[in-house]
Amino acid sequence: MARAKAEQHPASTGTALVVMVGLGVAFLLFMAFLNVVKSGNIINDSNLLYAALIFYCGAGTLYLGFGITGTPAYIRFASFSTWAGLIANTGAVAHRWYEAGHPPFSSIYEMLLSFVWAVAALTLIAEKKYGVKVIGTVTMPVAIVGVVLMQLLRTEVRPLVPALQSTWLHVHVTLAMLAYAACALSFALAMMFLIQDKTRTETFLVATSAFTAATYIGVLTRFQSWGGLSVVAWDPEQKTEVFVSRGVRLFVVIPDLGWLLLVVLAAVIAPLVLYLVWRKTQSDAHIDLANRAVFLSILLQVAALVFFILRARDGVYPSLDAEGQFPTSLAASPFILAGLVGGIFVSLLYLLLLWRRPELERMLPSADDLDRITYKTVAIAFPLLTLMIAAGAYWANRTWGSYWSWDPKETWAAITWLVYAGYLHMRITRGWRGRRAAYFAILGFAVVMFTFFGVTYLLPGLHAYA
Amino acid sequence: MAASLPKKLWQSLGAIKTGVILLILVVILSAAGTVILQRPMTDPDEMQRAYSPQMLRVLDALKLTDVFHAWWFVVLLALVSLSIVSASIQRFPNAWRFYSRPYKSPDETFRNALPHHQLIPIENEEVALGVAGRVLHKAGYRPEHIVRQNSFSLFGERNRISEMAVYIVHASLLLIFLGGIVDALYGWRAFVTLNKGQQSNHVESQTGFSRDLPFAIRCDGAGQENYADGTPKRWWSDLAVVKDGQTVLRKQIVVNDPLVYSGVRFYQATFGKTGKLDKLLLSASPRSGQDAKNLALGLNESASLDADTTVRLAEFIPDYVENDGQVYARSNQLQNPAAHLIVASKKTGQLVNYWLPAIAGHEENAKSPYEFQAKDVQMAYYTGLEVSHEPGQWSVWGGVILMGLGLAVVFYLVHTRIWVVPVRDAQGRLQLWIGATANKNKYAFEERFRDLVKELDSELKAAAVAGADAPAATFAGR
Repeated sequence: MARAKAEQHPASTGTALVVMVGLGVAFLLFMAFLNVVKSGNIINDSNLLYAALIFYCGAGTLYLGFGITGTPAYIRFASFSTWAGLIANTGAVAHRWYEAGHPPFSSIYEMLLSFVWAVAALTLIAEKKYGVKVIGTVTMPVAIVGVVLMQLLRTEVRPLVPALQSTWLHVHVTLAMLAYAACALSFALAMMFLIQDKTRTETFLVATSAFTAATYIGVLTRFQSWGGLSVVAWDPEQKTEVFVSRGVRLFVVIPDLGWLLLVVLAAVIAPLVLYLVWRKTQSDAHIDLANRAVFLSILLQVAALVFFILRARDGVYPSLDAEGQFPTSLAASPFILAGLVGGIFVSLLYLLLLWRRPELERMLPSADDLDRITYKTVAIAFPLLTLMIAAGAYWANRTWGSYWSWDPKETWAAITWLVYAGYLHMRITRGWRGRRAAYFAILGFAVVMFTFFGVTYLLPGLHAYA
Repeated sequence: MAASLPKKLWQSLGAIKTGVILLILVVILSAAGTVILQRPMTDPDEMQRAYSPQMLRVLDALKLTDVFHAWWFVVLLALVSLSIVSASIQRFPNAWRFYSRPYKSPDETFRNALPHHQLIPIENEEVALGVAGRVLHKAGYRPEHIVRQNSFSLFGERNRISEMAVYIVHASLLLIFLGGIVDALYGWRAFVTLNKGQQSNHVESQTGFSRDLPFAIRCDGAGQENYADGTPKRWWSDLAVVKDGQTVLRKQIVVNDPLVYSGVRFYQATFGKTGKLDKLLLSASPRSGQDAKNLALGLNESASLDADTTVRLAEFIPDYVENDGQVYARSNQLQNPAAHLIVASKKTGQLVNYWLPAIAGHEENAKSPYEFQAKDVQMAYYTGLEVSHEPGQWSVWGGVILMGLGLAVVFYLVHTRIWVVPVRDAQGRLQLWIGATANKNKYAFEERFRDLVKELDSELKAAAVAGADAPAATFAGR
């Protein structure tokens, strides 16, 4: 503690960030207030959500500031800001619930609302109960991306189709959100364990490069000839995607964007290539070069994001499948947007690790503690996953007449369950601790993400609602 | 001595390595089943569009187009079950011995090997055990006094069931599998479509399965309610179960609430218009100028208008078109309806063709003693019912509940044991040995154990002071 105090930055820099963030939050709240006064409607879920977004942004900045400088004062203000955001978020959930007359779990918008709430709540729990202070550095950006995505999705309360009018649905989705949030936490903790466990920074370089490259390869599956990128067409009147026929979306092609993304893909793969060269030569110059390449790739990724936002926000583009020009919108491509933002975020985290590793290590709990807390979060997630699957099966049995039909979402939920069951068996009977267990927890979360997003958007099935 | 081959096989089936390899195989194959288009769900045209003919032949030959019903997937799940059974049988006897015969009085080797133990010097064995008993009781244990060959000691434990929890979870998994197997062998799914008033005991599925139920199901009505924006809010069907000509059960089913009769479940699955008429609402005004009468007629139903005159609905065409003096039905949609009424007189035996609307060349509307007006057309709805019989589902739900309980015990109940033994050290001084173990969450338990020892230590000191003042009182207190 004494050492941490001695190395603490001058108080003036610490105050400067808090004051700046405070002023920024106050300014945004004031602007929002002016808008609210104009519209005359103070309490509704979009205003509350906006307030939550502002506070989460403030908290995220402060957590990041803590991650970089290690100034303890930031954490106090950061958790204060998280609290404020959580309260506004709770208000938004409550308002939505009241307005819709059912718990907010029936559309992707409502589920994101609940998911962000769970993430913020778990952040505070992890911070207060387990002393994992920097966790907000990871979870707050996730919450921010979640809220931003929500702004793009259709928000009006829509009536429930008959199959969704069931208490079991709410039980099922609540359990799923809680389980997935616990899995997310176990993933963040496993990552921190790897940092604390002296995993080489180069390993994180590979992981970062591989993750961003995979993201861009995923996005570039939409690459069209002549360098275009096809995105889903959007109907601004109905606020919905344009469908050619049932379940088949209409795509429009944004010209030239594909080339840009291809260049960025090359830039994010470069560190991986340089790492492989370094493995051969063992010359520090190459790893330096790789780190520089990460920095360069961030600049290019930001450029790609800006171009994507500018061109996809509202433009009219030709389609390959139909005559004429069709509009698109950011809301039509939430997953491309999330992928681009996620890539930048992961690369930034790598830079943070590269520059501030000793400080980070000092701020984190010991490796043993992190290993144990990771196991504890899985011990929470696994029963929740089990009950989630059971509630889903019971609901399916009441609705479709069968408790298990091997639909892709069901199958992937079972796969998730098996992966975590594997983790528990290896840990309990084989005594897997530390790094192997951490890798397993990371794998588990990757499968969770695929079940949550991948199955919905890549594989067809009965789970058409979410 | 080499074990026999079956025994070896049985043992390696129960090894954790086998279990994990089997689970990895299940994961890979079921993931393949979600990525490759699957047979009964995807229609054959789409399969042919998605894969080349050679590819499709290979996939079909390997049953990869119907992974979850392929024989090798069933074999794999059976092997997983066997692996669980084998692992449980191999480990259970040990665990059961541990569970049923708790180790209550620790010997010296055990005492020295136990990670958490402490020695506290004491004066009097009996007093110290009394104090320890009270401290343990306060900590939520019910300590037992153990007497062995003139030695006294204390043993206390909590949540011994935790040692059995893993077996509970594995048994519950087998129970779920059992339910699944029973349903795969004896369960079925089919479909029946009923119009209002119709009854049937015959159900069929797309795969060619059909079955005659020992009772019939009748639809007394079906309908749809919409939200203000026109999206469907609710589908319902009034169903009745008819057995030996008697109605034995009635229920209105909606999408999430099926009807269950003798293990057969009826679900609201689809709903639609048959294109047939249910009732035509008419008003009939006599030409003599009396008040109009309202009628509701189904097809071929007749109604009497006065003592002499009756009217019958002979034809109803939901979407008519006239061509070359003939009336044709263009579609089943209610777009351009026409009704053919026949007005009969008993006295004269005269029949008059009355058309609504009046179609020239067919209508004799002017000859009718009544003038008719169509008020409303009620079309008949059909209801599509999913029918399923899942005799194994109770085993599945039982397994699910058991698994929930088992997991709660596995993760949240810790088996802790505490022993308190008076011993003498090398110099012959009397000491109280206190040791404890927990089967999980060891760090938290270590802290609790340290607190417990601290409390015991201070209580012992207090007792020693009290004992020095008035030794008799302590004994009297016991």
